Amino acid sequence: MSTSLTVDIAFGLFSAATVVAAWLVFRTDSMVRAAYWLLASFAGVGAVMVLLHARFLGLVLVLMMAGEMTIMAVFMVMFMMNPAGLNPMTMVHQHRTAKIAGVVAFAGLALVGLVADFPDRPADRGRDPTADLGRELLGDSMLIFETAGVTLLASMIGALALASKRGRYGDAEEGSAPPPLEPVAGPRTGADTVTEPEAEADSGEHAGMSHG
Amino acid sequence: MNWSSPLPALVLVSAVLAVGTYALAVLDRANGDRVARRRLRPRDAVLQPARAASLLLLTRPTATERPDAQAWALAPALLAAMAAGALATVPLDRGVTVADVDDGIVLFGAAMAIVMVAVYLHGWSANSPLPLLGGYRFIALALSYEMPLALVLIAAALPAQSLSVGAIVESQQGLWNVLRQPLGLPLYLVAGMGLGFWGPLNTSDAPDLAGGTAVEVSGPQRLAWELARRFVVVAVAAMGAAVFLGGWQGPVLPGWAWMALKTLLLLAVVAHLGHRVARVRLERFVVVAWTVLIPLALVDVFVSGALAL
Repeated sequence: MSTSLTVDIAFGLFSAATVVAAWLVFRTDSMVRAAYWLLASFAGVGAVMVLLHARFLGLVLVLMMAGEMTIMAVFMVMFMMNPAGLNPMTMVHQHRTAKIAGVVAFAGLALVGLVADFPDRPADRGRDPTADLGRELLGDSMLIFETAGVTLLASMIGALALASKRGRYGDAEEGSAPPPLEPVAGPRTGADTVTEPEAEADSGEHAGMSHG
Repeated sequence: MNWSSPLPALVLVSAVLAVGTYALAVLDRANGDRVARRRLRPRDAVLQPARAASLLLLTRPTATERPDAQAWALAPALLAAMAAGALATVPLDRGVTVADVDDGIVLFGAAMAIVMVAVYLHGWSANSPLPLLGGYRFIALALSYEMPLALVLIAAALPAQSLSVGAIVESQQGLWNVLRQPLGLPLYLVAGMGLGFWGPLNTSDAPDLAGGTAVEVSGPQRLAWELARRFVVVAVAAMGAAVFLGGWQGPVLPGWAWMALKTLLLLAVVAHLGHRVARVRLERFVVVAWTVLIPLALVDVFVSGALAL
């Protein structure tokens, strides 16, 4: 089998797998599965990039996404109050907005694909894409990439601050009081936890329930 | 012979993984005997891994309530595949590399990053608390030493001025990286042992979790998992031998023999440390990884970069 035919078949397979995996992200009911279907989709894109001779970019994409999708799954589990991410939960929201956005995006991209005049500039075989990428990152595009990098770093620090044990409502381990049996107006304060032993003594038969 | 064509590649990678894994199991058993002050019986040490494997093969598989069956079955296969893919990038002799790509070290890094996915899925998909804890433990640790691993490999690539593992081996003619970059190999071994969740860094499948991610798995699937994690250790040792110990270079003996000896040496070190060093405490080790290991790896990169310029 000739090389170009093998490449064409591989391209078809990886593209199809990418699309199917991306679709499955929204068909699953679990945060972890959704994250890893997305990783599978990215791995397909990485494979296509390797086929396009952007080997370094394709491999780095897979390398980065393996870590990032895992981190994303962990953060989703942390923020969603879904213990361990084991409970099923729906992965799609705001159906109408999502449908409109999806149709518009698809139509836009399809229009670009049909109408745009794609350049036909075969690259020289001798060029080293990895070296070109390095020059680009530390040359003309440095400001853009550094700005993006600092923005991402800031959002990472923000996400960590939100998820950290010491939050704005105090230490997560100390602030967690069982909900009161009588509805209370307003936010709960630390005082609730301090007076808890007395409350337990007052309503002995409910104490077990409040800890359940 | 063209080792990159499919059939020879498959045979070669499988053979190296099988021999390396058996050697690791024998070394592990021998070290365990010494630590336990049992009389060292060479026959036992050699036969024990085969016995343990056949016992697992005959054990009845267990199931949990509503596991994620696909991910559960995928995890050992993914781990083994990543180990095989990582090993494929290692030059086993002069001109014998299964995947001789010019970004080999990046391919190795990508495969090692997916190890994290495999171990987490293995813990998560059992739908059981102890495996799940093991999975989260592995993420916490793996995220901490992915960075030193990537940095020491980049530092090793700097003198070669190439990301190809073959070029890195060539660049060590005269002076091996273990001497040129003294920080490299120790940091690499820490990260590598962690990726195979081995010995002191085995928190995810640890006895204090009754077996961690593997606690609900038995029978052939357990055997596959135990093999796959040893494949990772073998791949890490082979890459360590190539990148830090000069690979196939050496006097008198043929290249593959040097490569085998150096890989066995690293496997012996790993097996030894696995029995001699106490298991780390997760929270403390994460702090150490971020405040000590990563800065040391950065020093390694900066010094190597300055020397390479």
